[in-house]
Amino acid sequence: MSPERSSEETMHGPRGGGGPLLAWACLQLILAGMLLIWSGGAFGLLFLNGAVILILLSAWNRIAPPPGGPRVLARRSVPIAILGVGVTFAVAGISAGFYLVLIGAELIAFAAIWLVRELLAERKLRR
Amino acid sequence: MAGGAQLAPRASVPRPGALDWLAATDHKRTAAKVAVASTFFFLLSGLLALLMRAELAQPGLQFVSDHSYNELFTMHGAGMIYLFLTPAALALGLYFVPLQIGAAQIFAPRVALLGFWLYLGGGLTMYSGFLTDNGSGADTWTATIPLADSSHTPGVGMDLWVIGVALAVLGSLLIGITILLTILRLRAPTMTMLRMPVFTWTMLATTFMVIASFPVLVVAMGLLLAERHLHGVFEGATGSVAYQHIFWFFGHPVVYVMFFPFVGAVAEVVTTFSRKRFFGYRVLVISLIFFTSLSMAVWGHHMFILNSVPNQYYSLTSHLLAIPAGIEYLDLIGTMIGGSIVFRTPMLFAIGFILQFLIGGLTGIVMAAPPIDYHINGTYFIVAHFHYTLFAGSLFGLLAGVHFWFPKVTGAMLRERLGKISFWVLVAGANLTYFPMFFLGFDGMPRRVADYAPRFGDLNLLASIGAGVIALGVLLFLANVFISLRHRIPAGDDPWGGQTLEWATTSPPPRLNFEGELPPITSHAPLLDRREAREATPA
Repeated sequence: MSPERSSEETMHGPRGGGGPLLAWACLQLILAGMLLIWSGGAFGLLFLNGAVILILLSAWNRIAPPPGGPRVLARRSVPIAILGVGVTFAVAGISAGFYLVLIGAELIAFAAIWLVRELLAERKLRR
Repeated sequence: MAGGAQLAPRASVPRPGALDWLAATDHKRTAAKVAVASTFFFLLSGLLALLMRAELAQPGLQFVSDHSYNELFTMHGAGMIYLFLTPAALALGLYFVPLQIGAAQIFAPRVALLGFWLYLGGGLTMYSGFLTDNGSGADTWTATIPLADSSHTPGVGMDLWVIGVALAVLGSLLIGITILLTILRLRAPTMTMLRMPVFTWTMLATTFMVIASFPVLVVAMGLLLAERHLHGVFEGATGSVAYQHIFWFFGHPVVYVMFFPFVGAVAEVVTTFSRKRFFGYRVLVISLIFFTSLSMAVWGHHMFILNSVPNQYYSLTSHLLAIPAGIEYLDLIGTMIGGSIVFRTPMLFAIGFILQFLIGGLTGIVMAAPPIDYHINGTYFIVAHFHYTLFAGSLFGLLAGVHFWFPKVTGAMLRERLGKISFWVLVAGANLTYFPMFFLGFDGMPRRVADYAPRFGDLNLLASIGAGVIALGVLLFLANVFISLRHRIPAGDDPWGGQTLEWATTSPPPRLNFEGELPPITSHAPLLDRREAREATPA
């Protein structure tokens, strides 16, 4: 490893990953192309999503600013747990009873407000 | 209790409550929650398997009706795949990937926590179907159309199954996203892609498949629910084939989601207990990339008998899978050759994984040929094949990882003798249960039936006895965990002489994973590099 590369990595963290991801995407494209030619069916298009995801990830990894050190983070996040329970209730209620949808919606709203407060408090601490 | 000095620190450091644990944002605690929940679902789904094997011990109907049997195998299969192996694989990654790449936290910890709650909610929703009038979902873990529509399977239970699967898979998806982004964004400054440990590479491949294929299943479950209530979504034969395409686009990659992380865990175990550097690291990375792409290109081999997919393409890609799989095997064996192998419990489970998965893998190649698939499709041969890959393979890989990393997670060693006994009992149970199924299937015994012809009786009895032996092996493992946590033997930071960064921190690791500086990272085995450098330096 060259000294320049080393100091760059130390300062910014590794920005790599683009190469392997793009190579991976190419492989996905070849296989998807083969399937489309072979089958001619629309379901071959499903397969393209893998390549698209890899290309997007690779590009984002290049463009996004390097992450800093560990971020300020609450030790626990009760609203997230409530949000999870709320979503489960609301979705299960589609079939198990409308009252569950209502309970779930209330829980989601309650959790969302609490979560916003929690995130604002975290942001304040970060400053 | 004597001595105020002992009391003072306890009073100043309150014990974390249940809420601190359930809502903790630390990736290690989230992973522990997923692991505990997945163990719970494993035991529940395993109990259903025991009921099934009890019913199948003799021809005729003994304990359950045909419909109840349908519920049992549906919930067993769905529980093991959606609620146990997939989340357990992701839990390993959620805990160890940040440690292996020198990250203090996981990317988007709240998203991972939400993933856990959705997964748990989904699992409980699935199982709540048993409390409804018509019982739980009863249309196999794939919920094939038209069996799964509301005219063939009426009732809320099947709806809850569909919703539960969607939620559980969405939860796993969120966890997978956080692991993938952690690998891409939060690696330590000198941890380049080609210095990542093998386990982390397998998790990268796994989570890529999660992101590419899991959303498709969530959509499929949404469409299935719409079909059940609004109708006309999957109409006629074309609708049925369309559903199968969408389902298997998820259904095949998920098999590799339940396999790659355990290959990674086994690779870590094999390198550590062979006292050697991993053989063929770069070749393994390239083969993993090929493996991942190919595994997403073979979903149509589940549909050979429909004659509505290009069988040549899917047969070709399915056969090609043997190449990267063979490379992984060569790398694992090459690592062992010339090493000073130490046969501790994790190594035994790793070798069990390598040998038993081979049986599942080789029979997979056989089934990749459409003419053979026509013969064995829908028979017990398939059941034997995927249980050799997922139970005798992946579960052994998981147990290799659990025995290997247990000291790191808990700070205590598992009992060696009990571990070895449970290993041999599980080997005996797995082979006694699943090997006879190859013969049953090849002779034409159909799967998913509660009753069968009397000529299949002897081999079924053997398989049922084997299931009991597996249950004993699982109980021995659980007893080992319980005893080891109750009467702790301190592990120290690096009890095995590990090669990757997780062994450079305390056991269990602190909240931000590492205190002080990381060791220099110049390869995928930084601790081995450090040891070798120290040995090379004159005293």
